[in-house]
Amino acid sequence: MGCIGAKEIESAISAWVERIAAEGAERLAVIGLMSHGDLLAKRLVAGLKERGIDALYGAIDISLYRDDLDMRAEKLPLRSSYLPFSTDGLHVILVDDVLYTGRTIRAALNALFEYGRPARVELQTLAYREGREVPICADYTCFHLEPEAGKEVQVRLHEVDGEDKIEF
Amino acid sequence: MTDTIIKNATWAISGEKYDLSLTTCEDGKHPQLDGITLTGVERCEPAGKLPVPQGAQVIDAAGKLLLPALFDMHAKVEISGRSKRESVNRTGQAATNGGVWAMLVMPNRGFCFDSAPNLDSFRDAVEQRSSAEMYAAGCITLGMGGEQQAPYNTLAARGVRILSDAEHVPANLLTLHRVMKYVAELDMVLAIRGDVPELTRNTYMHPGATSYRLGLHGTPACAEEIGIETLLRLAADAGARIHIQTVSTAEGVDIIRRAKAAGQKVTAEVALHHLLFTHEDVGNYNTNYKVLPPLRERRDCEALIAGVKDGTIDCIVSDHTPCIPFAKKQDFITAPHGMAVLDHFLPALYTHLVKPSLLTWAELVRACSTAPCGIVKPVDEYDEPRVAPLMLFDPSACGTVQAAQLACGTQNSPFIGGELCGSVILPLQ
Amino acid sequence: MKPRKDLITIGSLSDEEINTILDSATAMKDIFTKSVKKVPALKGKSVLTLFYEPSTRTRSSFEVAAHRLSADVTTFTVGTSSVVKGESVHDTIDTLMSMKMDYIIVRHKNSGIPDVIARHCKAAVINAGDGAHAHPSQAFLDAFTIREKYGTVAGKRVVIIGDILHSRVARSTSTILQRLGAQVAYMGPGPLVPLQAHTGIPRFTNWDEVFDWKPDVIYLLRVQNERIDTPFFPAGDYHQAFGVTEERLKIIDDLDLGIMHPGPVNRGVELCDAAMEYRNCLVCNQVENGIAARMSILYHLTPQTQNND
Repeated sequence: MGCIGAKEIESAISAWVERIAAEGAERLAVIGLMSHGDLLAKRLVAGLKERGIDALYGAIDISLYRDDLDMRAEKLPLRSSYLPFSTDGLHVILVDDVLYTGRTIRAALNALFEYGRPARVELQTLAYREGREVPICADYTCFHLEPEAGKEVQVRLHEVDGEDKIEF
Repeated sequence: MTDTIIKNATWAISGEKYDLSLTTCEDGKHPQLDGITLTGVERCEPAGKLPVPQGAQVIDAAGKLLLPALFDMHAKVEISGRSKRESVNRTGQAATNGGVWAMLVMPNRGFCFDSAPNLDSFRDAVEQRSSAEMYAAGCITLGMGGEQQAPYNTLAARGVRILSDAEHVPANLLTLHRVMKYVAELDMVLAIRGDVPELTRNTYMHPGATSYRLGLHGTPACAEEIGIETLLRLAADAGARIHIQTVSTAEGVDIIRRAKAAGQKVTAEVALHHLLFTHEDVGNYNTNYKVLPPLRERRDCEALIAGVKDGTIDCIVSDHTPCIPFAKKQDFITAPHGMAVLDHFLPALYTHLVKPSLLTWAELVRACSTAPCGIVKPVDEYDEPRVAPLMLFDPSACGTVQAAQLACGTQNSPFIGGELCGSVILPLQ
Repeated sequence: MKPRKDLITIGSLSDEEINTILDSATAMKDIFTKSVKKVPALKGKSVLTLFYEPSTRTRSSFEVAAHRLSADVTTFTVGTSSVVKGESVHDTIDTLMSMKMDYIIVRHKNSGIPDVIARHCKAAVINAGDGAHAHPSQAFLDAFTIREKYGTVAGKRVVIIGDILHSRVARSTSTILQRLGAQVAYMGPGPLVPLQAHTGIPRFTNWDEVFDWKPDVIYLLRVQNERIDTPFFPAGDYHQAFGVTEERLKIIDDLDLGIMHPGPVNRGVELCDAAMEYRNCLVCNQVENGIAARMSILYHLTPQTQNND
């Protein structure tokens, strides 16, 4: 079983902030996917602010856009999306914890485009795991994981889980 | 002559054991026990005292109870969608299963006893198809419509002694008053339930916490009680004998008790389900518990049982009403009233009333056999009174009731899935 | 939340289900603020509204809710003809099942009909009001409105006023509010308020008792003479005896109480004109929240039309 600890995650996020800052994009919005992606987005926005870069923060719940609603025995509880601005003309960085099949991101893109017409959308994730089922890939990922077959990747963040940790 | 001996049977009323020899001779003299004629019996001696002739067939009845078969003076036969013959056949079989040898059949849409031909075709069907005796209650009004009186003289000439429109009550007091005068003159009995239609229209169950929860309008108990009072006053004035059907409330029992104490010619019955179930059994719109009058409260059940014990309520009846599954699958408001209980009449009486000591066997025999027979006074084709045959009842045979066991042809029995004790052997031979 | 096929009564739901549906209603309401007021959650699903009783409001609220979840909505017009012809509900259900509906929203004057339909079909059945029995979607929107206004339902005191006896709204709304920890009382004309022994809910007969009880919300029921066969109300004085008159509105204003009503309001009967303009009149919020609550209900039900059909 693989494990990435708090220290590694902290430095990875710093590097992530550096990379966004280096791109020097204008009219930036960092939008995280609930739940976990939104927490990462918040950290990124805070990190950018320390470097004097203003970025809008948003969070979206994509449950209503999922393509597997019918197959799930249990319906997911819904959470309110937080997107108090139109995305028209913005440079949006979509943030999630893990990119795996790509289906969540497909749903997220559908959801995102109902809030306006962004100038550009990038996908950046904390981790990437092999197994894509739709042609979607990340513009940036911190960790490339190769868990054993059948193993879940679990991302824990201190805001909700009490610690920063990735298990796979 | 004698070829069958029953040994060690327990006479249900006294609990004493007897040996009996049976006879096929119909018009012979029969011995009696506790004033009850032992139909079909040649000799009856205390257990061990009866010699067994050679070659006789011996039935060991150890542990089994001997009692007269039951008379149910309130049942319906018609199964909608089935022929008259099949309806009669199935209901007759159900009655035999439930320990009932004879019943008074209430008029119904397909069995509307308001004319000679209707009565005759029913009698033919009974003669050919039924294992139980069935007597018809003649209609009070044509088509049970509550307006035009039925031809009472014609009905009386065909042996009809009881008039009833089943659950229907003529709303017009003048009509009722006139009917009662005819009934008095023809020495008949008017069987009718207490109701004030204005108070019970569009109501579906007893008013209480369950009716509130289900959003069903309640049938006030006072409607039935006012109805009973009205019937008693009209009957007293007309000099008619009346039989109050399906009393369901505690106060109704009190009203009848007072009338009897005052010397009025009145008898009364209670349906088995009103002794056993309450309005709470309706649960979540269980249409099998939709009956008329509705199931009441536990205190009403208790008062009704007390009424049976002290003789205020003369008989316990089945109020057997077959309803096809489709009808009972409808919503509670649309579904018809009624339960089909004949198949388990005696086992249910035993399991729920005698076994828990709410009634004694003597009270059960009086309320379910001798008293109703005394009110209906059935006669054979030579105008001789008919007497109940004997049956054996095995109280130890317990089991879960399966829908497939029912002979009555429908499944609206409240006993399906429950435990009942007792099985009936009728006829004896 | 475990999969649930139908919504017939509030009483049949677990606390978890009640809370989940309410919580999700908040998320649903957010959708109204987007430029695209629609989500694809029920894309390709068919929703049927089957109303045996006329109702414009509840029906269109459900229809809007279904549209916003991208479902296809069919309106089944129950011609009075087929009812008169004696077509049984079972025949109608068979017809509906062959139309392969996923959700059926039903209103009927007979208590218990939605339950019968639910037991005999695979579609998710939502009770949109049956007789005097239940109106669960109204209960959800009422609870949601109170929660939105006061932050919580627990501990609030709500008096429901009017014809309780014939009211499915009173039954369902009182049940959900009690389940969420509120206290409920009834007030209305004597013959129209069932005994406390039957309802478990305190019973008042006049406004003085209502104000003494220190309620937070006054919930007025619509006077529905059309559902009552014989006159129940003493002629003409309902407003004076049981309505919110201008005089009572002043007291309500002083005490800062909320006013709710399931609509449509009979002005001058349950509420005076001024009450509709009152700052704590939540009637319009109820209508808007009705859509969100119904979206949440639709989202959380799971039809069994998927497999082997």
